[in-house]
Amino acid sequence: MSAIDWTIIAVYLAWVIWDGIRLSKNTDEIEGYFLASRSLPWWAVGLSVMATQLSAITMIGTTGQGYAVGMSLLQQYYALPLAMVILAVTFVPFFHNARIFTAYEYLEKRFDAKTRSFTALLFLFSRGMATGAVISAPAVVLSVMIGLDVTTTCLLLALPTAFYTMFGGVQAVAWTDVKQMYLIVGGLVAACIALMMGLPDNVGIGEALRIAGTTGRLQVFDFSTDPSARYTFWTGTIGALFLFLSYFGTDQSQVQRYLTAKSIDEARTSLFMSAYWKIPLQALVMIIGVFMFLFYIFTPPPMLFNRAHDQRVRESARAGEYAALEQRFGEAVVARKQAAEQLAEAQRSSDPAATAVRSAAFKAEEQRVLGVRAEAVSLVKDVSGDSSYNDINYVFPTFIVTHLPVGLIGLLMAAIFAAAMSTVSGELSALSTSTVIDFYRRWVRDDGDQAHLLWVSKVATLFWAVFASIVAIWASELGSLIEVVNRFGSFFYGSILGVFLLAIGWKRANSTGAFVGLLTGMGVVGWVTVSTSIAFLWHNLIGAVVVFVVGMIVSEATGPRKPQSAVRTTPAGR
Amino acid sequence: MTAMSRTYIKVVVVWVATLAALYGFQAYFTR
Repeated sequence: MSAIDWTIIAVYLAWVIWDGIRLSKNTDEIEGYFLASRSLPWWAVGLSVMATQLSAITMIGTTGQGYAVGMSLLQQYYALPLAMVILAVTFVPFFHNARIFTAYEYLEKRFDAKTRSFTALLFLFSRGMATGAVISAPAVVLSVMIGLDVTTTCLLLALPTAFYTMFGGVQAVAWTDVKQMYLIVGGLVAACIALMMGLPDNVGIGEALRIAGTTGRLQVFDFSTDPSARYTFWTGTIGALFLFLSYFGTDQSQVQRYLTAKSIDEARTSLFMSAYWKIPLQALVMIIGVFMFLFYIFTPPPMLFNRAHDQRVRESARAGEYAALEQRFGEAVVARKQAAEQLAEAQRSSDPAATAVRSAAFKAEEQRVLGVRAEAVSLVKDVSGDSSYNDINYVFPTFIVTHLPVGLIGLLMAAIFAAAMSTVSGELSALSTSTVIDFYRRWVRDDGDQAHLLWVSKVATLFWAVFASIVAIWASELGSLIEVVNRFGSFFYGSILGVFLLAIGWKRANSTGAFVGLLTGMGVVGWVTVSTSIAFLWHNLIGAVVVFVVGMIVSEATGPRKPQSAVRTTPAGR
Repeated sequence: MTAMSRTYIKVVVVWVATLAALYGFQAYFTR
């Protein structure tokens, strides 16, 4: 990278810290620090919600997914607008009227301290580890792309984020999220335009998209009813509905965002920003992946996108074998390019028979390229001993640093930093809030001393930043453990939603029913995960339904719930 | 009907229109 690109990244990092601290007000009170004194406008909350969701993993992983397999993942987001409407009608008014800091606080008002503490603990454990993964994934890729070691890139992502989150609280998080969102979307649009301009003059954008279509990469609707199929219209609209209800309705990193809104209607409107824009934004991210696939049809791609592994194989005893594969790969790429040009020509001639023949020829050449690449990947796995090697996360960063002009490289690298930091800051703030409100203030000290609580909050933010950084730095060694932890998270995501549904939707539910239901739901989802091939998006539905049904039965069997005075049980703000 | 109720309907209408546009996109470029 050039000095100009490094300067852009440095200016971005300095500006984001300065801007975050500058825009924070009333952070000498706990409500100002954690909830911005419930004063933020809907558009800032809405952009902050979207920025927290759009992590660097989305920018590099989802674009890579678009490159490798296409846009089928988009179906996972189809239920999001419906989830937002349901939450706007139900959860949002409940949380706002309850005047709470955390979603789990509501569960004590409705059930008991045990249910609140247990769900908060699950959140802290899973979100703490996940924050490490959010830092680690881009840090590993950036270290290879910009030539710094992983510890340095982890700290470059974590330290500035920890600094402005610690001193500016949720206001710093929200206002920097807004700016970061502009940077991320601007970067994505610029990359998309650059890719379209990178196509050859004799192939139009429509023809190029039809070429991608022949490989199945533009399939955004799959109506398969196979329960093990990961991304279908049904998993996207039914299974994912429960995932989004759980994520936006019970995960503190999201709930805290809309608790900062001025009013119930402003909170609702902020969620509708995601309802309108999430699917188009994800489509933009994935079409970038598809355009990269098209770009690399006409511009020879590297056989492997991870330069570190590529170099390692070249220096190994099997370098000769690798060179032979590269030779075959180069020939296959040239043949695929010719087949693509012939397919585009056939499409222009509007001759269906010729188009069908050329299409079949192109697909055969594409399979040849994939076959050689699969052999190379297998060789890398043998040489490195890394059986989980996968370089799709390196495709977009490789394109950026090798094919974009100076200046745009720095802008897009800054956008990847922004995507990671906007997610990490939101999660650090949520982790700190839950630690202080659900544990420290609840169990250790609650004497109303604002200055003391504020100090503890900053220490908690720092603690979680250090924790996430350590997880991130050691993630390469802990790779399989991180995966286990993330899988563990999916055991209880739907189950926690079930507890909240029980709290809001079943008046006679009691604390025993909620707790037994929660444990049963987690157990059933754990069994489904281990013993069946049912796709993970269905797990949320299964967990929520089991908790709700078991919770109802146990509540009916064990008697009435505790008297409730602190919380309204009707969505009065509707 | 309140303003918020109309917003809910608008969200659902835009959602259906978005899915329809995506379906059209898939049908046009994969035929």
